[in-house]
Amino acid sequence: MSSTTFSPAVPNRPRTLVIGSALATSGVLMFFGGLFALYFSRRADAMAWGTEWFPEGAIRLPPGGMNMATMALSAITMAWAVYSVINNDRIHSYLAMAITAVMGVAMLNQTVFYFNDIALPIDHSEATTFLFVIVGAHMAMVLVGVFWLGLLLLRALGGQDTSRNRDLVSAAALYWYAAVAVYMVIWLGIYIAK
Amino acid sequence: MTETAADTTRTGGVVPTALEAAVTTTDHLRIGRAWLASGALLLVASLVAGLLVSVERMDLTGMAVFGDVDSLFRFWSAYRVGLVLLVVVPVFVGLATAVVPLQVGASSIVFPRAAALGFWVWALGAAFTVAGFVIDGGLGTPGAVSRTDALALTLLGLLMVIGGICCATVCILTTIVAGRTAGMNLSRVPLFAWSVLVAGSIWLVTLPVLAANTVLIYVDLTGRSAVAFGVEDTIWGQLSWAFSHPQVYAFALPLVGIAGDIVPVAARRRHGNHRALLVLTALIGVLSFGAYAQAAFDIGTPIREQAIFVVEAFLIVPLVLLVLVGLVDVLRRGVGSRRTRMPAPLYLSVLSVLFLLDGTVLGALRAVAPLDLLDRSTTGAQFTFTIGAALLAAMAGTLWWGDLIVGRVVPQGFGLASALAVAVGIVLIAVPDTISGFMGLADFTGGDLVGAGNPGSGVDVLNTVALVGSAHLLVGALGWLVTGVLRLRGARSLADPWGGHTLEWSTSPVEVTSESPLLDATVEAGA
Repeated sequence: MSSTTFSPAVPNRPRTLVIGSALATSGVLMFFGGLFALYFSRRADAMAWGTEWFPEGAIRLPPGGMNMATMALSAITMAWAVYSVINNDRIHSYLAMAITAVMGVAMLNQTVFYFNDIALPIDHSEATTFLFVIVGAHMAMVLVGVFWLGLLLLRALGGQDTSRNRDLVSAAALYWYAAVAVYMVIWLGIYIAK
Repeated sequence: MTETAADTTRTGGVVPTALEAAVTTTDHLRIGRAWLASGALLLVASLVAGLLVSVERMDLTGMAVFGDVDSLFRFWSAYRVGLVLLVVVPVFVGLATAVVPLQVGASSIVFPRAAALGFWVWALGAAFTVAGFVIDGGLGTPGAVSRTDALALTLLGLLMVIGGICCATVCILTTIVAGRTAGMNLSRVPLFAWSVLVAGSIWLVTLPVLAANTVLIYVDLTGRSAVAFGVEDTIWGQLSWAFSHPQVYAFALPLVGIAGDIVPVAARRRHGNHRALLVLTALIGVLSFGAYAQAAFDIGTPIREQAIFVVEAFLIVPLVLLVLVGLVDVLRRGVGSRRTRMPAPLYLSVLSVLFLLDGTVLGALRAVAPLDLLDRSTTGAQFTFTIGAALLAAMAGTLWWGDLIVGRVVPQGFGLASALAVAVGIVLIAVPDTISGFMGLADFTGGDLVGAGNPGSGVDVLNTVALVGSAHLLVGALGWLVTGVLRLRGARSLADPWGGHTLEWSTSPVEVTSESPLLDATVEAGA
């Protein structure tokens, strides 16, 4: 004779994944906030003393602009993914998440190509150290986002990303928007302002 | 100890060994105990470093203990980093991991696997950090004689320590924000949970900034040649903001919640105004945000002479004073109305708020430019008062909630004696350092009397007193460790030994090892 055991009741917790993700993302944003604060203060100091920040011609706008456009578009496709999941539209959610992930990979690819192309040594100056640390940390952030999207795609294929169970997609979207916002500051502060 | 049916089903009836259970657990009580035990062990290690520095300070001309100023600096900085990131914060995280879910009526901590991951990342990082300090690494030296690989190891360890603390903090904060029981809004959460919510939020927005500093240093240090941030004698300057005013208050903040939860239960009187205490705690938290005060990146007017730094230093004093007045008022009403026996944690928690007040007063004095105390030993005194207060509150907290966390009792007298030894040690270190600071003694004394700013007479006697204080601290810490061991062997505890009114006391002390994985929304029922 077999006996039946029951698991504890699943607690009714409001959107823990979204809240946890928001808290973790705020920590990530503060990491970049700290880097940007140091970057801009040292840059302002260098400018005030009239010393060179980046070597002439080292930072070019087109690659940065392309990356910004890619990230901006990926924010739209990410919103599309959330919308599709809310509406139980599985086909469009596959498509939107896959396109977002591909855009993330494209952005990483462009950045690696660009940094190989300019061949600026990391220990050239304080500015280049900042450049590699900030851009490198952002690449790591995007890479985490791409892995997260890959996990979501697998779950979507298994039918687990539904309107009733959409928190993981919402949490990933929050993180992805933060990655886009960070790149916007990089684009404005490094590629445009140089 | 009982296990839920789901656990037995999942493990297939195989009972894990104690080691397996400890390593693989996602139970918040066990994770909390792991944080507390590790913090207590590292407290002893940090205090040994502090004691050696105090011995060296007795006679700077001979350098009899360390042999050179660089080794002295390495242990001096290890003492501060260790006390904050390897002891006080982890112990508070441990207490919060164990107690907060029960206080807010959650069945367990939210994201239990992430909470366990946070502990193990921190533990590995702590091992790397300690190893880095011991093998001639650390966080730079004045003479720039450290081994680069050992420096990199320390920095890597520091990054892992920060990562682990942040990971655990996210789990605790999410539990408070999203895991509260129905009907408990944020204004009704117990003060300890609230103080952890405030302090954790500040940790979450400041520790990543410390991580950003550390990454910059690490990348520059391990490049072909350091150009700015990785230059060895500048490293400590870039990181020191996290170990001085105002950031140290953020690390000590949960002590307000510990005292706020212990005093009304012990005095049998409710807080006069619970919401006022919530607001005061939040304000202290906001004012303790210290990531902006990075003197190493000063441009123009030094940050420590700017209005925001000075105003912040002065504003925090009345806030802590109001907290203390509120607690004393509860005590007065409680003790005045009936003869009640005051438990040990009550004295310790109130004393910890008093020490925090001392720390904030010293912080305000340091901000007065004409006194010229910023780089004097007053800095060390402020650190000792503030972090010592946190340590005392942590000891009070483990005595108060220990029955709940471990499920066993311990004689309060031994715990009280240990904590009082710590309290005496704090006073014996901080008061002489305050006086020495006014007499011109430098915060880091260096290796000679000129560098120490030692005017001669008087300071030597004060340094002797501080040495006695360091010994007291170490004895107290060892006593705390022994108290923990004795508790493991104690008798089973009562459900509510204090007659507490907050939610954690309504649960049975019998541990239910309910494993609630992150993504497994359903658990298969056995057949």
